[in-house]
Amino acid sequence: MHFVTGGSFNGKAKWVREQYQLSDSPHLWVTAKEEKAIPENFIDLTKDNIIVLEGIEWFLEDFSSRLESIQVRLKWQTQLQDWLAWESKDRQRKLILIGTDISKGIVPLLPEDRKWRDVTGWAYQDTMKLAKQADLIWYGINKKLK
Amino acid sequence: MADSSSLIFISGGVRSGKSSFAEKIAADEAALRKAGLHYIATAQISDTEMKERVAHHRTDRLNSGHIWKTWEQPVRLLELANSFDSHDIVLLDCLTTLLNNEFFKADMQWKDHLFQECIIQSILAGITQIKSNCQLLIIVSNEVLNDSTQNNELVLTYQKMLGELHQHIVSMAEQAFLVESGIPLAMKGADCL
Repeated sequence: MHFVTGGSFNGKAKWVREQYQLSDSPHLWVTAKEEKAIPENFIDLTKDNIIVLEGIEWFLEDFSSRLESIQVRLKWQTQLQDWLAWESKDRQRKLILIGTDISKGIVPLLPEDRKWRDVTGWAYQDTMKLAKQADLIWYGINKKLK
Repeated sequence: MADSSSLIFISGGVRSGKSSFAEKIAADEAALRKAGLHYIATAQISDTEMKERVAHHRTDRLNSGHIWKTWEQPVRLLELANSFDSHDIVLLDCLTTLLNNEFFKADMQWKDHLFQECIIQSILAGITQIKSNCQLLIIVSNEVLNDSTQNNELVLTYQKMLGELHQHIVSMAEQAFLVESGIPLAMKGADCL
């Protein structure tokens, strides 16, 4: 699992497309922005070895709108374990998670936004721990975090 | 540093010391090369707070012991390009204010994609031209893309444009720094500093 993070509009998706030469490799790209909930069973349905999940903060927003903070974190951990299990079944398989850093603005006015920001921070820490590789993207430039 | 014209991009949070760092690089380079020091100020002074911020930066530059020539250019950066030659060191502080001024130049036009693209292209044209005319161009900007206010169209549009500009500028730049509480982190090509 490769975790790619950084601020919005910093070129994270572009970096992933170039890094993994996705224009020449079959892959499944799921963008979370439009369809907020995690699509069901996508991992069982795809035959591709590379899966990119872009905008995981929106998956977490969906969790956050329905669950208590502690449950969000547990659900995310379970979710990560499921994805890692898929990845470990074949050495060709690779899961790439792209998550926007939303942690450095002023405190949001709405409590639900504060909760979303909190759970996203915790979920990113858990993601970072389980990821084999991680990169921070700053205006198109990557800094390897692990 | 290369002999031909070069570009350094410096970004950081509010009061992170990014301007002081940029001014130091500019002054050191100018002293080393006996070059002229130029400062492009982008602020439009509209209230007392802005007045104080501008005064603060001015005092810093006066106390630096170097002589700066200041150019007030809140919009249309390209117009300044011919004011510099290949001996000059030019500091632009800061890009966010310049974008802000262009962005709100005309009421509600910011929603128009063509207008947005024109602004980006005109700022990049100004930067490219100044870079090629002078010896060293240093651009200071802000870190404002790591918040969670993404449901506001105006903020989102501004952030998208700034992100696009930053990506272009970093790719053009020989060096890029992220300043954290006074400490510059080299993000691109800084081994030659």
